[in-house]
Amino acid sequence: MLTGDGKLVERCLQGDDAAWEAIVTTYARRIYNLCYRYTGRTDEAEDLTQESFIRIYQNLKTFRPEAGNLVNWILKVARNLIIDHYRQTRRFQHAAGSEEMETMNHSDEKLPDAHRLVEQSEASRFLRDGLQALSPELKEAVILRDLEGMAYQEIAQLLNVPEGTVKSRINRGRIELTKLLVKRRSQAGMQL
Amino acid sequence: MECLHVEEHLTEYMDRSLPGEELARIAEHLHECSKCAGLLEDVRAVLVTCKAVPNLDLDLTLVERILLRTSGRPRTRTLREILSQHVLRPILTPRFAMGAVVGLLFLALAVNLMMPKVSPLASTLSPRELLRWADRGVQQLYSGGLKLYDKKNEWQAEFTFFKNNVFNKLGFMIERLDVPVEGKQDTGKPKQQQDKAPTDKSTVLLSPV
Repeated sequence: MLTGDGKLVERCLQGDDAAWEAIVTTYARRIYNLCYRYTGRTDEAEDLTQESFIRIYQNLKTFRPEAGNLVNWILKVARNLIIDHYRQTRRFQHAAGSEEMETMNHSDEKLPDAHRLVEQSEASRFLRDGLQALSPELKEAVILRDLEGMAYQEIAQLLNVPEGTVKSRINRGRIELTKLLVKRRSQAGMQL
Repeated sequence: MECLHVEEHLTEYMDRSLPGEELARIAEHLHECSKCAGLLEDVRAVLVTCKAVPNLDLDLTLVERILLRTSGRPRTRTLREILSQHVLRPILTPRFAMGAVVGLLFLALAVNLMMPKVSPLASTLSPRELLRWADRGVQQLYSGGLKLYDKKNEWQAEFTFFKNNVFNKLGFMIERLDVPVEGKQDTGKPKQQQDKAPTDKSTVLLSPV
């Protein structure tokens, strides 16, 4: 017995373009925001979103409804692509060294005006910069839990690690992020 | 209890997922240690900031590109998008905007010429000024009425004079023609004389002078 997700994927596999369009329009914004939070750049987020959906489209037949819901599967595909992207661009090594990371310029010169308006919030900008300075594992845990609002169990399934590890990473990520932001705020003479 | 231990279990403390005794011990430590209490407050502030981070809006052209690169079919557009694409966009060109601006300017000028001035009226909206304005209006109306009444009397007099003049002329002409009038047939004269009279008259008229 196929569920809603299973039926939708089944329709896609039978060549129903409307069903595929429904999947894209439903999840594109979430994937795009996830990619943006990982990369901190809108142009890279757009490219990664596009690549993610191409990969999802090519691998739709591997989706098993009994193994989990569609959104988690889509997030997993996107996340794997993001990890690959990081490996290719060798950003992991840079991101791992926090001191080195702090000196890096994270300003996004290609942000469109509409996005710049969103980014005018100082708190959001500081948070984004702070997240980029965390190690990939901690950043990922904080993004999925505190920005995406996912449950521990969902994160554990997505990352394929035990729930305890997820909790530990989230805790360490939050504390490191907080200390980093407090330090930067005090340097800038602002309040958290 | 060490501060490091509190740090390790801070999220669990916030989630209240620790055993009761452990929760109490950490709470006690947080009460005593300002550094750990400050850290807890800062973490909470960061979480509030995280929740307030807005989601970026998706550019619809991205969906379009994804669909074209996967299924090869363009995105289905809503009625609003179709109207926007086929009706609004062709109209909303720089040339149209310029024309609209010029048209509006002309309209504003026309309205300005035709309509009463608003600013003087607005500046005299005090009760006294309004009363004065109303009094002046009534006086103008009354004088206009009087003029009309005079005009009407004048026209009436002229008409009466014209009417009398016309009637007099007609009466004179009738009298000269001496056409028998029905009401004047029975004059008491003998019938022969009456019949004869016109003959005589016509002889008089036709006879050489």
